Amino acid sequence: MPEREEKGFSRIKELESINLATDEIRDQVIQTKKEVEKDNKKLAEQLNRKFKSHKIKSYDIVGAIGAGKTAILERITEKLGLNYRILVICGDITTRVDANRIEKHNAETIQINTGRECALNAYHIHQIIKNKDLNDYDIVFIENVGNLICPSEFILGTDKRMVIVSITEGEWVIEKHPMLFKMSDIAVINKIDLLERLGTNLDKMINDAKKINPNIDVITTSAKKGQNIDKLMELMGL
Amino acid sequence: MKKKIMEIEEIINNPENIKTVDLKTLFNSFLSEIKNRIASYIGDYPTFIEPVFLEENVKIGDDVLLGPNVFIGTNSEIGNYVEISNSIIFENVKIGENFKIENCIISKNSVFNFSNLILKNSILSGINNTEDDIRKIEF
Repeated sequence: MPEREEKGFSRIKELESINLATDEIRDQVIQTKKEVEKDNKKLAEQLNRKFKSHKIKSYDIVGAIGAGKTAILERITEKLGLNYRILVICGDITTRVDANRIEKHNAETIQINTGRECALNAYHIHQIIKNKDLNDYDIVFIENVGNLICPSEFILGTDKRMVIVSITEGEWVIEKHPMLFKMSDIAVINKIDLLERLGTNLDKMINDAKKINPNIDVITTSAKKGQNIDKLMELMGL
Repeated sequence: MKKKIMEIEEIINNPENIKTVDLKTLFNSFLSEIKNRIASYIGDYPTFIEPVFLEENVKIGDDVLLGPNVFIGTNSEIGNYVEISNSIIFENVKIGENFKIENCIISKNSVFNFSNLILKNSILSGINNTEDDIRKIEF
């Protein structure tokens, strides 16, 4: 590849926008983007077939940093206890803080540090799953990298996607991030134990989620108090 | 872990006597025991899928994906856009840009002074200035 084109691709990759491609390489950049999306979808479908053939229930959990993804997973794994063999794949830019918290509740954890990438993709999951004997697991949870934007780009091959927000993020958080709600099966609005103090308009948040995706199940929780965790697990089919 | 890596090194240093079945068993056993150790490296936030074990002073380029099941020895250098999984890279190895390495053992002081190569299921060594220089043992 000529040096100029290579630099162009590198720049596009870093900035993640085809609008920044020069006219000469625009078609190639679009083609590459399409191929990446196609490859991710293909791998995700393969993963889902694998999970299903081993009767594994699988979940992709997305949400911003601090929304309560790890706290909810801790509650769920705690309740599932020793009755299930659980694998939790944790995505973070760096550290294994979340994995360390979750593995205290009888779950095996694998940390992916994505470095500069803001979401997990199906290839990351494939690299882990190909080295595992899936007969050893009943449930796979994937805790995605904490943000409400990038994970909408990549499906991971799980049965369900669950998006978690908290009332501390403000009542506009759902309206401002429609894509993830459009692509999710369950919306969790967490930290409702703080509702009285914050005065967040919870009805607006619920209505926004339903407006964006009429098929989405919406549930309010407090991971801290353990409120509605059983109901959430029912919605998840656990 | 230390004992197994020394055994693997001894085997690959005598390529004419390699019994690939024995090496494969030892290789898989070693990889299954790797603990995550990524606290110190030189570079800017590569992607790690644990477990990855980095010895001291490993240099890692941009947009690199390491893991799972990767061991990299002291003073080795990994170029930009490299991906390594299920592999052992011994010390003082230099890997060029855009290499994809899977199920490989690269012996110490090996150098790959070029870019763009996919390597699978092989033992590699020596100074390699072009792809044609590579002499690999498949296993």
